[in-house]
Amino acid sequence: MIHTVFVAGLSHRTAPIDVREQLALEEDKLREVLRDVAGGGVCSELMILSTCNRVEVYGVAEVPGEARGAAFRRMTAQRGMNFEVLEPLLYTKTGADAVLHAFRVAASLDSMVLGEPQILGQVKDAFALAQSCRVVGPMLHALMSQAFAVAKRVRTETEIGRFAVSVSFAAVELARKIFGTLDGKTVLLIGAGEMGELAARHLQDQGTLPVYVANRTWGRAQDLARDLAGTAVRYEDFPSVMAEVDIVITSTAAPEPIISVADVLAVLRARHERPLFFIDIAVPRNVEPAVNDLDNAFCYDVDDLRSVVESNLRERQREAQRGEVLVQGEVRKFAERLRDLEVVPTIVSLREKLEAIRRGEVARVLGRLPGADEATKQALEALSQAIVNKVLHGPTVKLRDSSRAGHARRWIEVISEVFGLGTKDRTGPPS
Amino acid sequence: MNAVVFDVALTAYIVAAAAALGSLFGRRDDLARFARLLTVAGWACHTGAIILRWVDLRRAPVLTLAEGVSVVIWVAVLFGLWIEYRYGITTFGAFFLPAILALGLGLPTGLRGLALEPQSQSGWALVHVGLILVGLAALVLNFGSALMYVLQERQIKAKRRGAFYYGLPALETLDHLTLVTLTVGFPFLTVGLVLGILRAWGVPQAGRSWASLLAGDPLALFSLVMWLVYAATLSGRAVGRWRGRRAAYFAIAGFCVLLATLGAGAFFHGRHGS
Repeated sequence: MIHTVFVAGLSHRTAPIDVREQLALEEDKLREVLRDVAGGGVCSELMILSTCNRVEVYGVAEVPGEARGAAFRRMTAQRGMNFEVLEPLLYTKTGADAVLHAFRVAASLDSMVLGEPQILGQVKDAFALAQSCRVVGPMLHALMSQAFAVAKRVRTETEIGRFAVSVSFAAVELARKIFGTLDGKTVLLIGAGEMGELAARHLQDQGTLPVYVANRTWGRAQDLARDLAGTAVRYEDFPSVMAEVDIVITSTAAPEPIISVADVLAVLRARHERPLFFIDIAVPRNVEPAVNDLDNAFCYDVDDLRSVVESNLRERQREAQRGEVLVQGEVRKFAERLRDLEVVPTIVSLREKLEAIRRGEVARVLGRLPGADEATKQALEALSQAIVNKVLHGPTVKLRDSSRAGHARRWIEVISEVFGLGTKDRTGPPS
Repeated sequence: MNAVVFDVALTAYIVAAAAALGSLFGRRDDLARFARLLTVAGWACHTGAIILRWVDLRRAPVLTLAEGVSVVIWVAVLFGLWIEYRYGITTFGAFFLPAILALGLGLPTGLRGLALEPQSQSGWALVHVGLILVGLAALVLNFGSALMYVLQERQIKAKRRGAFYYGLPALETLDHLTLVTLTVGFPFLTVGLVLGILRAWGVPQAGRSWASLLAGDPLALFSLVMWLVYAATLSGRAVGRWRGRRAAYFAIAGFCVLLATLGAGAFFHGRHGS
């Protein structure tokens, strides 16, 4: 049963960005593809995940190759691409490998930036889209709900998403390591570089941080202050403003440092040694590096922040290892559950069949015994039920054992044949 | 009996300290939880041991040096657990538990026998000793948070992420903690010491100067030095100059003198010892 699950597609690992962006389809087109391919009969269930880093088809089919061909032919046709060009870039995984892949993708273990949180939402959207097109059956439903649960487990039980992996977020993370809460801290932004502005915005998102903006051009300072809901200050005044703020972001194009050790010493004295954090995003640097050696002054330049990002990425990789172990365990559990699921319809129809016979026979006997009292009726019920349960025991145990041993299909056929179970009664997931 | 229960408590503290250090180095949250549980259990045993001893001796068990250290530990663990809870610092145990053990490991050995001179077993002495003990407990935690500050500050300045970077809290939190523990501990210590001085004043000591009083009593001498270090730290902070690293270094220096003071109490017999 698990062997019918497949995933096929391309991702940042196999295909260059120009191919990926060419193949990306908008929602309406995806709906058409989903309906056409599922309607074509090559697969019984289907879902398409289309993001900027991957285009993947998840489905259930007896012959995954056919379903893959049909889906990607249809998609390339939509975008006027040649399927033959695309084909070498496609990978296909089936059975437990497909389940593993689905779990890893949802848990962001296969993402370009490990642990990025958007992918789970994108998988959920893709699943919802397929559901709205009525091309999701019990198998994909089970697979995806489990994938969402696994993703949540990886996120809560590892720290894969905890550490900042961009320069501006690394600056925020450091500010938190110095100040703890950022509520009530103030920021001075000197210069109008884009990265400086971004860092200021990220800081603002962390709490109520008033921002002061200084720029050699007064107009730009005012514009930027308006954008950041901050206050513009005259460039000449920034040294005195430094005594009041907690975080200074510099991103001017000045060829020489604009903040010297002596400046900072004076400022620290004026602010009673309250800590001061310099985020120097400018190249060449705006703050003398020796400022970092002063007590209660901390100075990080772009290279320092980059190395923080690198070490955070290593942290994420370390956490991803733990995530992989966790996901593999979940795949095993899922496969076991599926195997049980495989024999459940047969057990149910067997039970229904025997129960119908029993009820019919009891009614027939009671019809011949019009004077039977309540005690007799109950005894008949109990007797017949006991017989049915004893008869059911053997085949049920055999089916469950064989499913765990992995050869249930043979026994499903044998038992269905022996007891004359109609295939129409088998209402479980198609196998 | 109370000695056995005390040993159980001390053992629990030792294992808890090991687990807390393990959680700090190995970044394992489960170990930190285990350490906290053990600390609470150890503290409960410790409480039981103090009560048992109180009942046995029919007097407050704070008069010998060993008893005093035991009370310091008891208060420090309680305060430390509160700080862990209040500030959410799961790694605090890795710092204050070893500091406590540095005090406590002397106890099961020869220190038990040391007693104050009989005349000092008055209500006056109880207050004098009790206040100092509470003060010392806070100062042990002062040392723990200062040590954390120094480590974390080094990692941030060096721009390298050491093993503890992720486990230690923010610098400002740690600086705040050293200030809180100092401002709690220092008044207790001061009032306790002043009471001791007043009492020494009250005892007739014809013809003896202050200098000779101190010279004859190493415990009092070291206590005075310790008090001066902490007083300097606090006043340095008050005028707004000593924050962060400098304050942390002084807190560590103060703790070293504190250990020396207890050593002086244990190994020299002045008017405090008998």
